[in-house]
Amino acid sequence: MSASHPRSRRSRLRLTVPAAAVAALALTLAACSSGAPSAAGTGSAGGADSLNVLMISSHQGAADYLAKRYKEETGITINPTIVPYDQIGNTLDLDQQSGANQYDAAAVWYVSIGDLAADGSIQDLTDWIDSTPAIEKDDFIQSIYDPYSLVDGKRYGLPFDGDSHVLFYNKTILERNGITSPPKTWDEYVQDSKIVTQNEGANGVYGNVIFGQKSPLILGASFANRLAGFGGTFVDAQGKPTINSPQAVQAAQSLVDALGSAYPTPAETDFGAGNTAWYAGKAAFIENWTDLGVGSQINPASTVKDQWGVVPLPVGGSNTTPRASLVAGFTWVVSANTKKTQEAKDFIQWATSSKINEELLTADPQTGIDPNRSSTLNSTSYAQKYPELAEVNHTSLNGTLPWPTGKNATKAAEVLTDELANLIAGQENAQQALDKVQAQWEQLLG
Amino acid sequence: MADAALTVRPRRPRGQSRREAWAHRLFVTPSVLTLLILGLYPLLFIIAAALSESTLGKPFQSWVGADTLAAVLGDADTVAAFLRTVVYALGVSLASLVLGVVVALALQSAVRGGSLVRTLVLLPMFMPPVVVGTLWKLVYNSGGGLLATVVGFFGGDRQAVAPLSSTSWAMPAIGLADVWEWTPLVALLVFTALVAQDHEIVEAARLDGAHGFRLFWSVTLPSIAGVLAAAFFIRLVLAFKVFDLVFMMTSGGPGQATTTSSYEIYQAVFREFDVGKAAAITLVLAVIVTIVTIPVALITRRLQANHE
Repeated sequence: MSASHPRSRRSRLRLTVPAAAVAALALTLAACSSGAPSAAGTGSAGGADSLNVLMISSHQGAADYLAKRYKEETGITINPTIVPYDQIGNTLDLDQQSGANQYDAAAVWYVSIGDLAADGSIQDLTDWIDSTPAIEKDDFIQSIYDPYSLVDGKRYGLPFDGDSHVLFYNKTILERNGITSPPKTWDEYVQDSKIVTQNEGANGVYGNVIFGQKSPLILGASFANRLAGFGGTFVDAQGKPTINSPQAVQAAQSLVDALGSAYPTPAETDFGAGNTAWYAGKAAFIENWTDLGVGSQINPASTVKDQWGVVPLPVGGSNTTPRASLVAGFTWVVSANTKKTQEAKDFIQWATSSKINEELLTADPQTGIDPNRSSTLNSTSYAQKYPELAEVNHTSLNGTLPWPTGKNATKAAEVLTDELANLIAGQENAQQALDKVQAQWEQLLG
Repeated sequence: MADAALTVRPRRPRGQSRREAWAHRLFVTPSVLTLLILGLYPLLFIIAAALSESTLGKPFQSWVGADTLAAVLGDADTVAAFLRTVVYALGVSLASLVLGVVVALALQSAVRGGSLVRTLVLLPMFMPPVVVGTLWKLVYNSGGGLLATVVGFFGGDRQAVAPLSSTSWAMPAIGLADVWEWTPLVALLVFTALVAQDHEIVEAARLDGAHGFRLFWSVTLPSIAGVLAAAFFIRLVLAFKVFDLVFMMTSGGPGQATTTSSYEIYQAVFREFDVGKAAAITLVLAVIVTIVTIPVALITRRLQANHE
């Protein structure tokens, strides 16, 4: 028996090495797959009188509204599946690539349409849009129409949630702190924020909310707002990266300067935490979508009703013209493998129409939708109900700062976000962080 | 003749032998197929994806050779994530092992009236990691979390307590949640070994004057060493997989302070659509996990063999 031991050990070793390797691979795969949050709902192919659509959690109100109204108008049932905002692109991509083909249409982040098109997950809608006058494409707000739909000369979507960040301020907090007017520059914003935090930080009231959680739609948005204000761009007219320009570095530094007076703690602050602080009257300034104004008035949690004001995003450096940064706009696309292409097109045409956009803008409860059309931006109902929002949208949507949208754009956004996370964590300075982004973007975007 | 007759192997009909051979093959077929499907297919898929340009929607677009692997190994953030993952896995595994033994010994002492205690102690293990992450995120919340409240109670600055925003403390904070969640598993395994111990040996040692730590160190520990090593191995593998807690608590931040390799793989696949990069990271991670776990596996086998 003793003689057999050494051979046994060797054979065990031979078995152990490959077994451990396979186990490690299987476990890694499991870790990878188990992390993907699943869709909140379950889609099904359904009959001819139903459509499965994919939407984000911030659009839950809009999903409910659209489903109800479309059923009333057409008798067709809309089955929305709601996923987190940073999961919609990959959910659609996997759905199409796997052959599940559960979704007929989706309202995706506009930055992802280039990658979705490259992956063959969405349909080219160019001919349909050009041959359908009822879409009224000229009525889409022109500064968002191209970024939200155009990739390499082809159109893949129709703008749904016209996105524009603006600066909200709490009038009561500013008055308490002797600040007579909202800031027009990012430097003033930083100074005013410091005053409020110094005076009231001990009582849990802070100068600003900085959305700093590591996500392109959150931290990326905070940087993009300043980049727009300082007059910078992500890429130049030829699509070449310009992310380490002097304006971009100033914008990044301005973001860092605002952290000291921010609602705690910026690196963990997502939309939920930031908006909750705003509604609770804990912050003097917050950068957000115009629909936060709607929420400030009608959200049951809001304590700031009629106490807020809104202005275009501040400017900085040599730039004196406010611009909206198109941070998190969403656009309707038709999935590549749907068997209900025409029905899906009919639906997205309806969902992005002037009439429905106007209804969504003023609906109660709020839908999370911003204007996508000039006609709705100028509509009487919107101007009467939310005059300040209409005015600020007018001002800032004249010139906008879109993110890159071609192939690899989603990866480029992640690269930027990673470096911005290092920046606000104090691990790099603004120039170092953006130089690293520039180097990687030149490889990704050309 | 009699000896010769003893050494002759009884012959079976050829047909029966073949039938038995086929029956054997039939019985092992499910295991072989399972191994192929669960092990070989993912392995080949990952290797192929790592060596090709592969996106979420269009895998295996073009052959890129070792370019992606080279890019991954040349990326300082990715290499740092590998190191962070190894240090994290070893740290939380050791902590879980020590605490698991302590808890198991306590459970053994409370074995008579301790069924309720045992259930309560094991509760964290049964909680979904997403819930654990949310729970601990609330504990660490500087705006009224348990930790901030306790610090405030003792006169400290509540707002200064934000471990998940600290590049130094975020990873240990996640590790604490991880240890809290999985220590019960180690405790359960060790407790089982303690119960299965030969009580006559323990009694004999007691009669010889061994008590307390001396009894544990000289008698109990050697008898459960094999189980301890196995528990450490299992815990190590679980720790290498950490994703849910990072996803829920920090999204890999602040900066890259809590970005583990599993989180990087998720980010590459689901947020960058880059399956090729994710596969390359997976391959490298698999090698690292293998290198780290093989010695543990060998020690486990040796200790178990010694015990037998």
